Amino acid sequence: MKKLLLTAALVPFAGAAWAQCAPDYSGVTLTVSTQNGPFIASAMAMAAESFEEKTCATVNVVEFPFGELYPKFLTSMSQQTGDFDVIGFVPAWLPDFASYLSTMPAALREGGDWEDIHPVYRERLMVWNGEVKSATMDGDMHMLNYRADLMDDADNQAAFEAEYGYPLAAPLTWDQYYDIAEFFHDPDNGVFGTAEAYRRGGQQFWYFFSHAASYTNNPNNPGSMFFDPETMDAQLNNPGWLRALEDYKKGLDFNPPGALNNGSGDVRPLYAGGTVAMNLDWADSGVLGATEGSIAGNVRTAMLPGSTEIWNHKTGEWDTFDEPVASPFLAFGGWQLAVPADSRNQEAAWAYVAELTSPEMSGRAIVTANTGVNPYRFSHYENIDNWLSVFTREEAESYLGAQRASLDAPNVALDLRLPGFFSYTEILEIELSKALAGEVEPQAALDTIAEEWDKLTDEFGRETQLAAYRASVGLPAN
Amino acid sequence: MAQTAGRGDSIKHAFIGPAFLVVLVVTLFPLIYALVISFQAIRLVPPLPPRFVGFGNYAEILSSARFWGSMWTTSVIVFISVAFQYVIGFALALALHHNVAGASLYRVTFLLPMFLAPVCVALIARMVFHPYLGPVNDAMGMLGAGNIPFLTEPNLAIAVLITIEIWQWTPFVALLMLAGLQSLPGEVFEAAKVDNIPAWRRFRDITFPMLLPLSVAVVFIRLIEGFKVIDTVFVLTGGGPGTATETLTLFAYNEGFKKFNLGMTSALSFTFLIVVIVFGTLYLAAAQRVTRRYA
Repeated sequence: MKKLLLTAALVPFAGAAWAQCAPDYSGVTLTVSTQNGPFIASAMAMAAESFEEKTCATVNVVEFPFGELYPKFLTSMSQQTGDFDVIGFVPAWLPDFASYLSTMPAALREGGDWEDIHPVYRERLMVWNGEVKSATMDGDMHMLNYRADLMDDADNQAAFEAEYGYPLAAPLTWDQYYDIAEFFHDPDNGVFGTAEAYRRGGQQFWYFFSHAASYTNNPNNPGSMFFDPETMDAQLNNPGWLRALEDYKKGLDFNPPGALNNGSGDVRPLYAGGTVAMNLDWADSGVLGATEGSIAGNVRTAMLPGSTEIWNHKTGEWDTFDEPVASPFLAFGGWQLAVPADSRNQEAAWAYVAELTSPEMSGRAIVTANTGVNPYRFSHYENIDNWLSVFTREEAESYLGAQRASLDAPNVALDLRLPGFFSYTEILEIELSKALAGEVEPQAALDTIAEEWDKLTDEFGRETQLAAYRASVGLPAN
Repeated sequence: MAQTAGRGDSIKHAFIGPAFLVVLVVTLFPLIYALVISFQAIRLVPPLPPRFVGFGNYAEILSSARFWGSMWTTSVIVFISVAFQYVIGFALALALHHNVAGASLYRVTFLLPMFLAPVCVALIARMVFHPYLGPVNDAMGMLGAGNIPFLTEPNLAIAVLITIEIWQWTPFVALLMLAGLQSLPGEVFEAAKVDNIPAWRRFRDITFPMLLPLSVAVVFIRLIEGFKVIDTVFVLTGGGPGTATETLTLFAYNEGFKKFNLGMTSALSFTFLIVVIVFGTLYLAAAQRVTRRYA
């Protein structure tokens, strides 16, 4: 009788415990994996903790060095070992992974949370062959950072206008960018015009792509920036790319000494420490400048400069435009999450993805130090108050405005996503590095790259590469 | 009796069997597997079906300017740095052996670079030789030399890599040579002193010949280890500009971990192994001849 009474007394508590697990994934263990922390992995761990509390599931975050991620994920998925329930990876690998990934459940592709994701991610980067195969957890693009203390200074503005004949403001074209870099370049006083990454292995090629997008991402020929989308012939040696390389190389004149050995990791402190007037970088420079730099309060961000001329590979001529066309480059494109088709816990895995990418959780991650998560939702860009722990209001408006404007730009350029991505970029890095060091002429370097890219395409299978390339740029299959 | 011996043999083989199997599985299998892969075109990215190409990978390597460039770079770094390591290391060992004032402090201090991880050394060097923030360029600036592109001009970058190798590994040579010096019989030197043989001749005719076998071994170890240099190059220059400072191991790393070109990487590893074996054999043969002459 005592036992019966005790059981009856415990029933309401059991009900309460059950109610805490919604949905109830008690007994489910998810293995989620990405690169070694803190970047990205800490955001996954943060979401894991919250997901465990809500659903009573267990989430193990397994981290690997970046270099091991690709083979580990690919081997596991192709052998159907079911090792991973959620993988955190880079968009460039989506072409290789897509056939092994489950499609995002329809329930996650509707409602306010879904519409809150910027369409560039939702409709382009997360989609492969018409199916949503991944979920963006981090927005990434190259932007221009500049210092308000220099650019807004009345004396500088007057002097600049007197010298160059137009007002000093965030540059709209690359020519203006170099004018501004030249104007502020004053090595004797320890200030340099700009900073970009030029180091082989230092993410150099993304900086080059950011220049090239302005001259090669022709809105009249979508998807023709890297390859001809009809033949898969490499476009890297056309006059658009040549101008981009010459521009990129010209920037060395306004960088601090030794810039050839600077990677993206060097470019950030140069800006944050006030050594340079501007830099090109991902969102990290702005945050570093505002939180740890000597330019706090003066961090300003703008969309990448554009061009009034874009090469048309079909006509073999430059197309000219009345106003500069902005072609902001989504370098890297941000980390993504996916659920492998061999996961035994797909429902729970997608629920975890939903938790991690929810406006609340991602809204926390973007303003938490060292998560490496950058904005990708409308709510991230609109909720300025959320950013006031990092930036001043002016800084936040400029930082978020530039990112939003980049994504909204009609001619936004997506990064290369192609099987064998690193084989292509390795050749590019070597030749680029030789051209920058003056060992070979820019045109010769680009000719070599194009020739080697064509060889690689043939080796990997021209038809399969063409199909993948067209899918990556959102063109229908041939 | 013969029967007993026969049974003994089979028992002996039975006991050796497991050890043989372990050696086979642990040591030889990976090598044989890698050798088999080196004759195939096999990539993880994008995943292509393996294809037998015979000596195709080896032919491609041998006809690749990048391979010969990395071979040249590696050889320059290794031979020059090991030569300096040996001379300076031996000199340091001699100084420490003669108990200069504060010898025990020097002994510890000289050994410190050897204990640092090469990646840390490379990071420190990157800062020291930084064109804008580094103290070396600051000093050069004070002397009116301006900013010297230590890490971006190919010859200077190789010189920096050699300097780092010397700085880090000279203590290893000094340590072994000091141990060798301390094990030499004191009577010989005492007799030489009694006969008023000058220090230089004592070194040339006694110390050096007696330490020659050890010197051969020390240089050999450093040469083989030197051929594996990758960390410092990776951190300092990434192999650039272009491929000007790319070493053999970095070349193999890029093929394997950036391009996931497993067939080519295996072929590169075996080519590297053959180069080291050929070089090692030639070196030891030459060293044997020199040692015999002094014996």
